[in-house]
Amino acid sequence: MTWRNIRLIFFREVADQLRDRRTLFMVVILPLLLYPAMGIGMMQMTLLFSEQPRTVVVLGAKSLPSPPLLSQDGSRILDQWFVTEGDSQTLQIVSDLPEDDEVGPRTPSELESLQLAREIRLRLDELKRLRDEVQSLTENDSEVVAMKQGQIESLLEEIAEYFARANIQVLIVIPDGFDEYIRRENQRLAAREPSVENEPRLQPTIIRNSANEKSLIAYGRVREAFDNWEQAVLSERLALADLPADLTQPINAERVDLAKGEELAANVWSKLFPAMLVIMAMTGAFYPAVDLGAGEKERGTMETLLICPALRSEIVIGKFLTVLLFSLITALLNLVSMGVTGLHVLNTAGGGELSAVGDVAIPGMEVLIWVGILAIPLAALFASLSLAFALFAKSTKEGQYYLTPLLTVTMGLTVFCLSPAVELTPFYSLIPVMGPALLLKGMLLTSNAQPGLMWYVLPVLISSFAYSGLALAWAIDQFQREEVLFREAERFNVRLWIRHLLRDKESIPSFSEAIFCFVMIMLLQFALLKTFGSALQNAPAGQESWTMLRLLVVQQLVIIACPALFMGILLTSNPLFTFQLRLPKLKYLALGLLLPLLLHPVVVELAMRLAWFFPSLPPHAQAALSTMSDGSVPWIWLILAFAVAPAICEELAFRGFILSGFRHSGRHVLAITLSGILFGVMHMIPQQVFNAALLGVLLGLLAIKSGSILPSMLFHFVNNALGVLHGNLGTIREQGDWAGNWAQQLTVTSELGTTYRLSVVLIAALLAGLLIAWLIKQRTVPMPVRRREDTAE
Amino acid sequence: MIKVNHLSKHFEDLRKGRVYALEDVSFEVRPGEIFGLLGPNGAGKTTCLRILSTVLKPSSGEAIVAGFDVAHHPAEVRQNIGFMSGNTGIYDRMTGWELVEYFGRLYGLPEDLLQHRLHEVFETLKMEDVRDVLGSKMSTGMKQKVSIARTIVHDPPVLIFDEPTSGLDVLVARALLEAIDALRSKGKSIIFSTHIMREVEKLCDRVAIIHKGQILASGTIEELSTRYQEPEMEELFFDLIRQADGDALELE
Repeated sequence: MTWRNIRLIFFREVADQLRDRRTLFMVVILPLLLYPAMGIGMMQMTLLFSEQPRTVVVLGAKSLPSPPLLSQDGSRILDQWFVTEGDSQTLQIVSDLPEDDEVGPRTPSELESLQLAREIRLRLDELKRLRDEVQSLTENDSEVVAMKQGQIESLLEEIAEYFARANIQVLIVIPDGFDEYIRRENQRLAAREPSVENEPRLQPTIIRNSANEKSLIAYGRVREAFDNWEQAVLSERLALADLPADLTQPINAERVDLAKGEELAANVWSKLFPAMLVIMAMTGAFYPAVDLGAGEKERGTMETLLICPALRSEIVIGKFLTVLLFSLITALLNLVSMGVTGLHVLNTAGGGELSAVGDVAIPGMEVLIWVGILAIPLAALFASLSLAFALFAKSTKEGQYYLTPLLTVTMGLTVFCLSPAVELTPFYSLIPVMGPALLLKGMLLTSNAQPGLMWYVLPVLISSFAYSGLALAWAIDQFQREEVLFREAERFNVRLWIRHLLRDKESIPSFSEAIFCFVMIMLLQFALLKTFGSALQNAPAGQESWTMLRLLVVQQLVIIACPALFMGILLTSNPLFTFQLRLPKLKYLALGLLLPLLLHPVVVELAMRLAWFFPSLPPHAQAALSTMSDGSVPWIWLILAFAVAPAICEELAFRGFILSGFRHSGRHVLAITLSGILFGVMHMIPQQVFNAALLGVLLGLLAIKSGSILPSMLFHFVNNALGVLHGNLGTIREQGDWAGNWAQQLTVTSELGTTYRLSVVLIAALLAGLLIAWLIKQRTVPMPVRRREDTAE
Repeated sequence: MIKVNHLSKHFEDLRKGRVYALEDVSFEVRPGEIFGLLGPNGAGKTTCLRILSTVLKPSSGEAIVAGFDVAHHPAEVRQNIGFMSGNTGIYDRMTGWELVEYFGRLYGLPEDLLQHRLHEVFETLKMEDVRDVLGSKMSTGMKQKVSIARTIVHDPPVLIFDEPTSGLDVLVARALLEAIDALRSKGKSIIFSTHIMREVEKLCDRVAIIHKGQILASGTIEELSTRYQEPEMEELFFDLIRQADGDALELE
């Protein structure tokens, strides 16, 4: 691979894209125009929005006690009762002041609202009467109570109907003589007289419909004004009675908010920037990639390029760099344009609601540099992924189809990152897209920054670049394959395809059949999750452990072994061959027995040392683990469920069908790694994913070198059995017999659990390493792909 | 300069299972010679030439081009061939000059030699009119000229033309054939596929008739005429194909 060719291709592709008006428009012009246009649109919308006042009807306005809540003519709530100036304009008050409907500047619709409101008041009185009656009834009158309840229900329904017809958002009903009542109460308090028994308490009613958004907003404002006004009424009462004004607030804590304006702004940016960066890097990569990949196939220039001396990898890398450049430019231009527009809009239209955001200053220079730096791994990942898809597609149309799944997954991850509770953890830092997004989010939140955030920079960058490297390798791999380069628009027909699968069977499954088997296993696992969960919950008390064990065995048989066996018998001409069911050399069986024994101390040590890295175990997994050691089930059953069943079922699936399928191409390293990773992924829980992926690689190696599945089954069994044993180590150590002695010799207990002595771990690791090195050196048993007619001969 | 021995290529097809696009094909092309690959559509001509240009890998057999095995030294093979087919398009957003210059650079020509070659090629092919025209604005004839210029800019010893005249009008096709003819006199090994008899008769030194992935007959035109006692090339071609299809029918 030479840099010269890569550079040549890169410069040509860039020049080509720059000459394309569509690309230029998408990458440069659109972001520069889009956000200002959206800003203008939003400002107009806000203006239009604020011009729509909500209607509030006040009945009995003349009975309002002082100080005055409404203006003289009863057409609005006085400004002083609102916190924010101008809020009074958002509520249009229709009151029965003056009482005569004919007097005053009322519109016909206002009159109608008033009329309907009066109807509601009548029913409210009725409602109150009914409720009082129900209160006074005793338990013996349950029939009467039920009847009255029915009446109350229908009355409420009626009120709701009138309320909707009146087209008002809030209705305030002040009872007649309410002002008198308040005055009387004030005087009584001033004179320190006790309140009179049986005097009816008068209280206003406020009606709203919180299911209706308009009503909800209007009610919020009304309540604010009403509360402030009530406070004033109270103050008057206290003053009259010669009592201190803070009588009702004995505690009256002082509240201090340390947030500064720019920190509130940082909060806004920390949500917007990562999300925009991810989405724009994605779309900015996708369209050029489709043009450079599928587009070039479509225009017939791909073959021209393929017959020049440039290597396929040089071509792909040149194209990748181009896509990366455009993705970066798109993402950064979008951010700049959005930032500048947002700043302008907020500063212009400041005040009102938005003033709470404070001065939305652009984040500091240092943070902006980080945005630029973190954009690179994101763009690199998206560039390589979209290029791989684009090279696979045979037309730009097909290429565009792949955008949706890619975008959906990306959006899902981004939305998850936006949630305020999600912070960067060691585990998240290694997940593609999430790592950079969360890091950026943390950096933009300058005030309450996560401590030690900077420690994550390196892992995030390294893992992100590793992922893009993998994606790029995949893209190059795609580009090497004839069937991808020269895919013809062949008619696809399900019936023909199934016939082809059954007719042109080979001795071992194909790569895609192996992938399909894995997908089946995962889907089954997902589909049966709830069934298993409820079975566990419904387990009779004291039987949970048994149920758990039974479910584990069923899961192994149904979810893992069945799909693999079924597909192996149906889709391959030689299932024995596919599942590698034959006797291995004795040395491999010995290795299958010895290696897990040696590795167990290492695995235990690693698990303990890496515990901080992983999120804590979900409850159901903890429950499963605790069954292993709570002693409620005989150990033979534990061994059966945790060791025998997985050793048979998982090996048949992963070292049988799936590994054989991956070996179809003859690339053993790829087959072992990929089957190992998938084996890890199947375990779902992060801790086990890591552990199982490593074991999976080792098991794959053993299966391939020995040419048989039996050593890996033995390995798997011993490994899992040791796991069960380890769970019970605590109890074993307590025993005074030889086993107890041995356990005490080999292991130590600390607050973290039981681990092996360091010397034991080191010796075991050394021996295991030697054995693995020996295994790698062994000759691989070849697995020729034979077609049915070939095998028949 | 091209040596093909027992070359086979098969694909998997949904309907038919394994399909042989090329089955046990052998021939040889020498320097200063135009070798014609004559066959109907779908005969395997393009597959064969794609293998020679290393774009496809052979399923079995070997092909040596300019001294290098296509399966094991594809980069060296590509360095020494010029390939042109109906599928090798030119870029829409590049001028004729830029395109030929770009490929010249990819072939690793040093800059001064490249400029010299560019002027030479543009002059011999009379391409001054396409020099600054974008690919999207070119006529079919202009595009074809640019393709030829791209094919020969690095002066390769082996040239492969896959149905170069398909879709061209008579004038352009004639000019193209003349250009190929001129290349022969420079000592190039040229392989040329077509389904048009006249082109073969006019241009090729030797010819192979290919049908359903197999070579039915090969030799100089005179040899073939004497061997099958049929002076008309066209008749000979149809006879051979009919005979092959008839044999296949009998077998079934």
